[in-house]
Amino acid sequence: MSVLELNGRIFDASTTGTLTLTGEGGAATTDVTQGLAKCWGGSTNAAVINDSLNVASSVDNGTGQYTHNLSNAMIQDINNSGGTATVHNDSGIARYFGSGTTASAAKLRCLDESFNDEDHMHSFVIHGDLA
Amino acid sequence: MIQTPEFQGTHLWNRLSWAKENLEMYKSEYCVVYEDNMDECAKVLHPDPNWMACALQGGILPPVTSYWELKKDEAKPDFVKHTRGPELLHNMKPIGPMTEEEAIEYLIMKDVPESVWRDWDKGNQPKMVICKKEQLPPTREWRNAWKIDPELKVAA
Repeated sequence: MSVLELNGRIFDASTTGTLTLTGEGGAATTDVTQGLAKCWGGSTNAAVINDSLNVASSVDNGTGQYTHNLSNAMIQDINNSGGTATVHNDSGIARYFGSGTTASAAKLRCLDESFNDEDHMHSFVIHGDLA
Repeated sequence: MIQTPEFQGTHLWNRLSWAKENLEMYKSEYCVVYEDNMDECAKVLHPDPNWMACALQGGILPPVTSYWELKKDEAKPDFVKHTRGPELLHNMKPIGPMTEEEAIEYLIMKDVPESVWRDWDKGNQPKMVICKKEQLPPTREWRNAWKIDPELKVAA
């Protein structure tokens, strides 16, 4: 079992609660439990993942529509977690869309400037707590 | 080959992070084409290369039945948050190494709707096909018209 000891406090798989780390300057803090990105990936316009963390598979649902399935689900529906997605050029838009998104599957839609579905290379990231 | 640590009891996300640092990505040449709605175009599932590395390595991923249980929880009308993550993902004994074929089958049972894979070869035409990426149409010009050929002969 992996164990992390921090200032005398032991963190292992059974540890619950919030882990907050103070930044080097002493003022800012980072809430690791809620604040760290738990899933990220970069995808081609056909949902082929180039690199990622915590992604099991990706689905090409049709023009501009993608689903990225997580290995470790988020604790709640991804619509209620923080996340963002971007396209890899200047003329497209990427966004999460609610219907069909769950705690373990993030649906994304890539659009052109007129808000029509359009294939795009894209990146995505999801924050929040894990199941 | 690097030895997988004893991971039962370690948070799955920490295992994935270990794999990310220690395993080479495996880019499968296979994908899964399926139809879950006859009014929509065919969908194409691609395995994640880091996930494939975990599957081939063994000792990292939970059994696929854990994901079925999580899906059952998510389908409940009063679902708000997962409460069985430790029981189903982190404390469950990880499964051993899989072949590429077994990994694709696992992924189908994890991420393709059960209504598709449970009786994929029943009915008038196949609802799912495992194929090589090079067998997909070469351009995406007519992507929303892609369908599985009803005349396709499939082998179990």
